[in-house]
Amino acid sequence: MDRVGGICKDKMAPHERVGALMMGQTPDRVPFNPFAMGFSSLNCGYTIESFYNDPQKSLNAQLWTAEQYGYEPVLLLGYAAYGGWEFGGEIKMPTSEWEGAPSVARHPVETEEDVEKLELPDVKTAGIIPISMEFSKLCDEMGLPILPGTSGDAITVASNITDVSLFCRWLMKKPELAHRLLRLATDHILEAYQYWVDTFGAQKIMAGLYVTVAANQILSPKQFEEFVLPYQYELHEKILGMGVQAGFMHICGEQNLNLPLIQQLPLGSPQQPVILSFGHEVDLEKAAEMFPDNIIAGNVEPQIIQNGTPEQVYEVTRIAIEKGKKAPGGFFLMPGCELPPMAPGYNIHTMMKAVNDFGFYD
Amino acid sequence: MATDARKKEILKGLYDAVVDFDEDKVVELSNAVLAEDVDAYEAIMDGLAAGMEHVGDLYANQEYFVPEVLMCSDALYAGLDILRPHLSGKEADVKGQVVIGTVEGDVHDIGKNLVKMMFDVAGFEVHDLGRDVKLEKFVEEQMKTDSEIVALSALMTTSMLAMPKVIEMIKARNPDAMIMVGGAPISQEVADNYGADGYAPNAANAVQEAIQMISRLREMGKA
Ligand code: B12
Repeated sequence: MDRVGGICKDKMAPHERVGALMMGQTPDRVPFNPFAMGFSSLNCGYTIESFYNDPQKSLNAQLWTAEQYGYEPVLLLGYAAYGGWEFGGEIKMPTSEWEGAPSVARHPVETEEDVEKLELPDVKTAGIIPISMEFSKLCDEMGLPILPGTSGDAITVASNITDVSLFCRWLMKKPELAHRLLRLATDHILEAYQYWVDTFGAQKIMAGLYVTVAANQILSPKQFEEFVLPYQYELHEKILGMGVQAGFMHICGEQNLNLPLIQQLPLGSPQQPVILSFGHEVDLEKAAEMFPDNIIAGNVEPQIIQNGTPEQVYEVTRIAIEKGKKAPGGFFLMPGCELPPMAPGYNIHTMMKAVNDFGFYD
Repeated sequence: MATDARKKEILKGLYDAVVDFDEDKVVELSNAVLAEDVDAYEAIMDGLAAGMEHVGDLYANQEYFVPEVLMCSDALYAGLDILRPHLSGKEADVKGQVVIGTVEGDVHDIGKNLVKMMFDVAGFEVHDLGRDVKLEKFVEEQMKTDSEIVALSALMTTSMLAMPKVIEMIKARNPDAMIMVGGAPISQEVADNYGADGYAPNAANAVQEAIQMISRLREMGKA
C-alpha cells in the first residue's frame, strides 16, 4: 500500500476499510472521517458557499481533502437548515467572513394561518434538491455511495419551516399546529427519498437520518416522545423499508436523556447497517453499551479541533479512539458534529496521527 | 393598601405563575398589584424576576427545557408590560443601557433572547439588534445610544471568531465601552483571550456581571 496522507501502516484502501466495517468485519484500523463540509471547500481554495451550490466543486473539495489527509470520504451535499427554503422560504448562502453554513433568511411559516395554507413542495424542484440531486449523479458516475441531500429529521425540518422559538411555543400551546408541520415534514422527506430511490435504485443509497433540534438543549425527553419519536420512527421504518444499502444517523448535541427513546427506533440490521454518530456530550462507552448492534461514530469536540493545541487535539482523539474501539458493533472516528470550517488543517493531521498511533486493531 | 400577608400572597402568586407559565394568572395578579397599591418594583423584583431566576435553575437542572422557558418568559413579559409604567422615581431610573445581539454569521438567538429578558427585568434599557448582526452595527449602536455595555452572543465556533474583531472595533471608537460575551462555545478563558470585559455562562449571571462591570466603570469615573 502506498503511503497516504502521512499514514504508512495502512493495509486497506479507504473503501475496503469502510466496506469491512459495514460488513461487520474488523478493518485494519479505525476509519476516520472529519465531517468536513465548509472546511473542504476552503481547503481547496473554493468559497464555503460553493460547497452548497456547486456540485462539481463540492465533490472535488470533498475528495481532494480526503486524499490529502488520508481519511475515508463520506460524500454529502446537504445542510441542517433544510426545510425553510424547500417549503417556499428563502435561504441565505454563507458569503460573509463569519458564516459557516446556510441559514434560513425567511421562514415560509410565520403565522398560524400560514400553517393552514402550507402545502408539500414539488420534490424535484424544492430548494436545494436539484443541486443535491446533481451532486448524487456525480457520485453515481464515480461509483460512490449516495447520501441524499434531503434531511432525515422531521422535527428540524418543521422548526426550519417556521422559527424554532415559535415552533417551541406551538409545542406547548398549539400542539396541533406542531403536528401538522411535522406531518408535512415527514411526508416531504419520504417523497424525496422515493425520488432518490427511483433515480438510482435503493441499493446505492445510504440513508441520512438525523435528530438535531431534538437535543436536550432544546427539548425534554417527554417532548421527544410526543413530537419526535412517532415521526422519526415512521421515517426510519419506511426509508429502511425501501431497501437502502445502509444508514447514517447523526444524534446531535446533548441527547443523554433521549437515548432510551432512540433505542426504540428501527436502527437497521447486520444486512442493513446503520452508523450512529454522537456528539461529544454523549460518552462513547455508554453509546456502545446502549447500541451494541450498531456501528458507533463520534465524538471529538469540534470546538477543541478549532481552538485546541495539537497536543489537546491528539489527546481527545486518543480518548475517543480507545473508547470507540471497544464498541462491539464497530467504530468510525468522527468529530461530534461538523468540522468547524476555519479549523487549522494541522489539527486534522493530528487526528490522523492519533489514528495511526492508537487506531490499529491487532 | 394591601396587608403584609396579602402582599406576600401576591408576590408569591406572581413567582409561582411565572414558574408555572400561567400568563393569565400573571396578568390577574399584576392588575391586583396596581389595584391594591402594592409596590410595582417589589412585584417585579421579588415576584416576576425571582420566579424567572428559579426557571433558570430548572433549565440548568434539565427539569425545564426551551419550550417551557419560552412560555415562562412570555408570562413574565405580560406582567412587566403592566407593571413597568407604574415604577416611580428612583426605581424607574434605568440601571444602565445595553446593546445586545448575536454576531454576524450566526442566527442562534434563543439564548440571546433570554439574556435580553434578564436585562429587561433588571431595569436596563436594552437595544436589541437581533441576530446575524453586522459587526459595524454594534459599533454604531453603541455610539448612538452611549450604552455602557455591549453584550455579544455566539453559538458557533465560526461566528465566535467575529467577537475579538468586533471588540477591537468598538474599543477603537470608544475605549470606555464595556463588552460582555457569552454563548455555548464561550468560556471565561476565551472571553479573556478575546479582550472582553465580562463573561457569564448563563442569562441569570449575565445581569450580575453587567452590574459589576458598570460599577467598575463608575469607580473609574467614566459613567
Ligand atoms: C436550536 C439550534 C439551532 C436553531 C437556532 C434557532 C434560533 N432561532 O436560535 C437552528 C435549527 C436554526 C440552527 C441552525 C444551525 N445550527 Co444550530 N443549534 C441549535 C442548538 C441545538 C441549541 C442552541 C440553543 O438555543 N440552546 C439553548 C439556549 C438557551 O442556550 P444558549 O444559546 O447556550 O444560551 C445560554 C448561554 O450560552 C448564555 N448566553 C448566550 N448568549 C449569551 C450572550 C451573553 C452576553 C451572555 C453573558 C450569555 C449568553 O445564556 C443563555 C441562557 O442561559 C445547538 C446545540 C448546542 N450545543 O447549543 C446547535 C448548534 C449551536 N448549531 C450548530 C450548527 C452547526 C448550526 C448550523 C450551521 C447547521 C447547518 N450546518 O446548517 C445552522 C446555523 C446557521 C447560522 N448561520 O447560524 C452547532 C454549532 C457548531 C459549531 N460550529 O460550533 C451546534 C453547537 C450543534 C452541534 N452540536 O454542533 N441551530
